[in-house]
Amino acid sequence: MAIVALAAGAPLYAEHVANTTPERNNLTGKIVVDGETRDVVSLDGIPVGPTWQREYLLGADANGRDVAVRLLYAARNSLFIGLTAALITTLLGIALGLLAGYYRGATDWVISRAMDVLWAVPVLLLGVALGVALTLGGLKIGPLEIRGGSLWIPALIIGVVSVVYLARPLRGEVLRLREQEFVEAARAQGASGPRIMVSEILPNILTTVLVFFPLLVANAVLLEAALSFLGAGVQEPAPSWGLMIGSGIKVLITQPALTIAPGVMLVLSVLSLNVVGEAVREAINPRARVRLEQ
Amino acid sequence: MRRTPLRLASTLAAAALLGLAGCGGDDSEDSGGDTAGKTGGTATAYYTSFPDYLDPALTYTAEGWQAMWTVYTPLVTYAHVEGVEGAKLIPGLAEALPEVSDDGKTYTLKLRDGLTYSDGTQVKASDAEHAIKRVLNLESGGSGFFQGIEGAEDYLEAGKASADISGIETDDATGEITYKLVEPDGTFPFALSMLFAAPVPSDTPFSNQTKNPPPGVGAFKITEVDGTRGFTMAKNAEFPEIEGVPAAKLDTLEVTVVKEARRQGQDILDNKVDYIVDPPIGEQLREIRTAAKDRFSEHTTLSTYFMFLNTREAPFDKKEVRQAVNYGLNKPALARLFSGLLAPSCNFLPPEMQGYEKLEPCPYGDPNAEPDLAKARQLIKDAGAEGAKVTVWGNDEDETREVTTAFADQLSAIGLDAKPRIVSGEVYFSTIGNEKTKAQAGFTNWFGDFPHPANFLFLMDGNSIQPTNNVNFSNVDDPEINDTLAEIGQNPDLAAVASQYAALDKRVVEEAYIAPYGNRKLTLVTSDRMAFDDIVWHPLFLADFSTFALKE
Repeated sequence: MAIVALAAGAPLYAEHVANTTPERNNLTGKIVVDGETRDVVSLDGIPVGPTWQREYLLGADANGRDVAVRLLYAARNSLFIGLTAALITTLLGIALGLLAGYYRGATDWVISRAMDVLWAVPVLLLGVALGVALTLGGLKIGPLEIRGGSLWIPALIIGVVSVVYLARPLRGEVLRLREQEFVEAARAQGASGPRIMVSEILPNILTTVLVFFPLLVANAVLLEAALSFLGAGVQEPAPSWGLMIGSGIKVLITQPALTIAPGVMLVLSVLSLNVVGEAVREAINPRARVRLEQ
Repeated sequence: MRRTPLRLASTLAAAALLGLAGCGGDDSEDSGGDTAGKTGGTATAYYTSFPDYLDPALTYTAEGWQAMWTVYTPLVTYAHVEGVEGAKLIPGLAEALPEVSDDGKTYTLKLRDGLTYSDGTQVKASDAEHAIKRVLNLESGGSGFFQGIEGAEDYLEAGKASADISGIETDDATGEITYKLVEPDGTFPFALSMLFAAPVPSDTPFSNQTKNPPPGVGAFKITEVDGTRGFTMAKNAEFPEIEGVPAAKLDTLEVTVVKEARRQGQDILDNKVDYIVDPPIGEQLREIRTAAKDRFSEHTTLSTYFMFLNTREAPFDKKEVRQAVNYGLNKPALARLFSGLLAPSCNFLPPEMQGYEKLEPCPYGDPNAEPDLAKARQLIKDAGAEGAKVTVWGNDEDETREVTTAFADQLSAIGLDAKPRIVSGEVYFSTIGNEKTKAQAGFTNWFGDFPHPANFLFLMDGNSIQPTNNVNFSNVDDPEINDTLAEIGQNPDLAAVASQYAALDKRVVEEAYIAPYGNRKLTLVTSDRMAFDDIVWHPLFLADFSTFALKE
């Protein structure tokens, strides 16, 4: 919640406290720190370190941009990409899991083999390949057009390459459910396949989806950082923790804050999402509830 | 002809030629000690990476050229002096500069008498042809410089190492060497001054000889190659007296590859190594600038960093918009992204090269001052380009990412709507050089192969435009430039046409075909043991190893 609040408050902090934007360069600007006027970026190209004051609280990056402001905006981008990617994964995963598990046979074979192929390719490698290609040319499918630098590109990529994580367990769940008596009853009443999937099976797999969702978000946030670090995710000048780590790592020894700050944010957000996921699992797991009540 | 060092800040790998425009400029801060160097002794040096090759036919990096220049002397070379004088051709192994026929197609030279290689073998005229054959046969990066010789294409097509190049005639008895060109080419003497053309014994195999470099005629010889960990250079006792080309002062120079930039910086500060090729980084550069200023200097290279502005793509098809970019570019700010190792400039041609005339006043204001944003915004407004979307291209190497981001920010500040697009350095130049990309603007630079303006201005030649692998990224197709280049490019007397090259340089800037913003600087830093003031910083080959000496 704290990270969500920080992300939501990023514009307020940038505009009213730090007096800048995440993208504004300030290579020749000056700042007063402890009564001493300093270059934001020195003639030697060394950016100012943490000032622990309103402006440049965590220092500047090589372009003279406020690290704290970029950190907060990066949280917004990470959460946007994480949530969007998880939603895409969820929608695709549910659809594929239902189709494969309910219809079985040829449908199941095609979907399962496609999942096998996807499973066999390292997710990061696939993400980088797609990211580089789409970042260059953007994406155009019919009337849908996404420009190369858009945040939707990494969201879409991560959403697609992660689908196997959800589709496989859901397929197994559907295979089990379709043999249950209430499904048999619906079938006996003449309900069509799509109707059974939507009205009978889907409500019963939603709990699994709910448990998976925060974990998918956490995974997407991590993957986004990795892709951005490798230059295939969020594109400059938009801030991203992965991008910031990538830039900061070159000056890790002299300016560790540039790497540590986004690294800490990344760890905290992934940890908190995992905690949320665990809480959801416990909340909807009857056995866990019994244990709590005892 | 190479574009840029891949990791110039930390290593000079892949720089074709970091020609220095001399250290006589105002950026040079030679304030070293006053002790003259002695003859003899051993010095040590760090390279960040092993040279691409230790074979004169193949090496095409700064590291390679810097070392090999003192091992192999071509027929034509440069005096081992600083500044523009060091950028002028002098006879090397040839008795005199080449005689050129009236039609500009035939170059004739005569080998000096009694020359021997470092192994004692006599140098023969036919060795010069063997050197060119090796360059072509090995498909060296330098082969393009010699494909204008008659029969060179046939030699390549034949694919036989022993075949003849009909356009090169040699006479071992008289020492005469004649090169016949297909078309007149005024830069050919400069091509002959490249290490690619340096004679090597005619029994030198047609294969990469890095592990066992062939003997040459130079101040040093390479005596040991330790895999890719380093190599040792020893004084060549057979080196003859050649005016302008000094003998080595050191007995031995031991070169070791040390990849960690911080260790390099610390070791030079602690006098644990005598010379480091690459500039120190970050805080260490700052420390060396102050704590070791008596053994540190900065030098502007034969390079130009500029933003290309594609004249075929809106909004840069309008001259006013291109001029606005030049008015709005904050060059001192960009210099900070290079740790201060960039000299802001206005010209396209780098300084202290024949043909360079400083544009003073610069039409867009003092390059060392803040930009004229009001003027830039007004020009954008007048051109009706306010809010025009611009993609600024750059790659992910070294400081290029930051520079590209700064470009985009500065273009947005003058009224355009610019966003950077960063792609991998490995595909960057082929991407922006593909006409289908329609790259509007972006980062590029050029390091000269030799100190001739044609080696830079061909980037602005409309005849060089091609659909793929284009290097004229701005797609400049100006008949005045094209015609003048075609005319003066044939003249081998650079001094006679230098003013015309200067006029072309001025036109490129005034028409704002590009937005030049600086010339890259490199550093010379040595240990306290070295006679710092004795070291010559050569315009093309950087710190001259033959002038390295230990203090008395």
